This record gives sequence, structure tokens and C-alpha cells, in this order.
Amino acid sequence: MEPGRARNALSQLRKGALEYCVLALLDEGERYGFELVRTLSEADGLMVSEGTIYPLLSRLRRDLLVETSWQESETGPPRRYYHLTDAGRRALADFSDEWTKFRDSVDALLQHKEKGRERER
Amino acid sequence: MNVNADPLVEGYLRHLEAVAAVLPEYRRAELLAEIRAHLDEALRQVPAGDEAAVRSMLDRLGSPEEIVAAAADPVPAGQFFPVPPTNGLAIASLLFGIFWLGGIGSLAALVLGYRARREIRNSAGAQRGSSLATIGIVLGWIGIALLVLAAVAALFLLAASSTTTGTSVTSSVAPVPTG
Repeated sequence: MEPGRARNALSQLRKGALEYCVLALLDEGERYGFELVRTLSEADGLMVSEGTIYPLLSRLRRDLLVETSWQESETGPPRRYYHLTDAGRRALADFSDEWTKFRDSVDALLQHKEKGRERER
Repeated sequence: MNVNADPLVEGYLRHLEAVAAVLPEYRRAELLAEIRAHLDEALRQVPAGDEAAVRSMLDRLGSPEEIVAAAADPVPAGQFFPVPPTNGLAIASLLFGIFWLGGIGSLAALVLGYRARREIRNSAGAQRGSSLATIGIVLGWIGIALLVLAAVAALFLLAASSTTTGTSVTSSVAPVPTG
């Protein structure tokens, strides 16, 4: 299989999962944009470019999963902080349940294939 | 703000502003403000005059095209297409078709119905109500047909009564049924 195909599949998965990673980070406590982006970009293979997180945050806000508030900063201009709404918390809980099932099923099938290959040797 | 102090960052922001012109005003303003704030924070961690560090910071951020494409994403996952509105003329046509109004309603139903169907066709899916307009048109033609039948029947009755009584019909007015 050509590598582009796998990359495309992963990019779709990443796109879908990323917004729940944002919600999960905000579940720990409110954060401002830059802080959120840097934390996410430190996770290996999770995102491609930092700038695309901002449109995602804007969409989450329009969908009422997160709220924002301006807070003074000691080092510069006021920062826009993002925090989770009740709807956001529910969406995160729903996704976490489904994701666990999905991840386990995919893992089980992929490992099954690897074991088969080992047996052939 | 030190964002505008760096020529590379300044160029990036100008490029982003130009590309973001396709976004609705409120979304563009929000995006630009967030990216500016991001660059402001990121620049503080970069030693002054370190061009390579600024370049790699902008690389991490991604190209303006990429960011705007993410912002323009029209249908977020899990969201349904909005239901298109029903054409108002189609509804009016149906109502006029139902209320015959001595044939005037039928005429209005036909005119509005045909116009509604044209508008809906031209809207290419943005408007609904084509079937309502069609019902209005059918009712309109039925109303016209009833009017013609009633007129013909009245003339026959008059002709019949004039031949039996031998009086002239020219002075009498054909009674048109209403309702």
C-alpha cells in the first residue's frame, strides 16, 4: 500500500480526535490559546500545525462546548481563556467511552494480524 | 506590542489577512486576534534578531492558507445541513388556489405558482416548496375550469329559458355562482 494512503487515513483520524483532546485538556482547568496550543504540539504526532487549533477553538465556542473570558496577564495584554461548558463535558464523556471501544477493537485487529505474521515465520 | 517589530512576522500577518478575506467578518477578526496573540507570546520566547528561530516558529504555526482552510470548514463533523426555507410565493399560490375568490384566487394561484417554481428551480436547492407551488397551480387550473364550466352552463340555461319563453337574453346578466 502506498504511504500516502495511510497518511490520509491518519490525518482524518487526527482531525476528528483533536477537538476531544482540546476538550480533555480544558477539563483539567481553563487555559489560554497559546498555552493550549503548546501543550498539544508537544504530544507526538497529534497535530500538524499549531495555527489550525484556533479555528477549531472558534468552532467549539460556536457549538457551545467551550466558553471564553478575558483575563489580565502579568506579562502582556489580556488573554482569552477557554473553559469547558457542561455540554462540552458531556461531549467529552461520550467520546471517551466510544474511543476506548474503538481503540481496543483496532488494536486487537492489528495485533491479530501481527501474530499471524509471526506464526508464518 | 512587539509583533509588528519583526519584519518576518509582519509579512506573515499581512499574508494571513489577505488570505482570510474569504472568511465572514466576525470569524476573520477573531482568527486574526488569536494568531496575533499567539505570535506575541511566541516571540517573547525567541531571542531578538534570531531570524532562524522566527522562521521555525512561523513554520510550526503553519501557512496562512492552511489556517484559513481550517477556519472555512463549512460542515463540522456531526452537524446536519440546515433545512432550506420554503418559498413564500409557493405558499401564497397554494392559499389562493384553495380560496377560489370567484376565479381571481385561481388566477393569482397560477401566476404566483409558476413564479415560485421558477424561483425554486433557480435557487438550486436553497429553497423548498416546489410541490406546494404545483398543488397551487393545479388548484388554480381547476378553479379556472370550474369558472368556464359555470359560465357555459349559465349560457345554456339562459338560451334554454329564452327559447321556451321567447324573450330576449341580451339584457339579462349571466348569474355567476360564487364561493
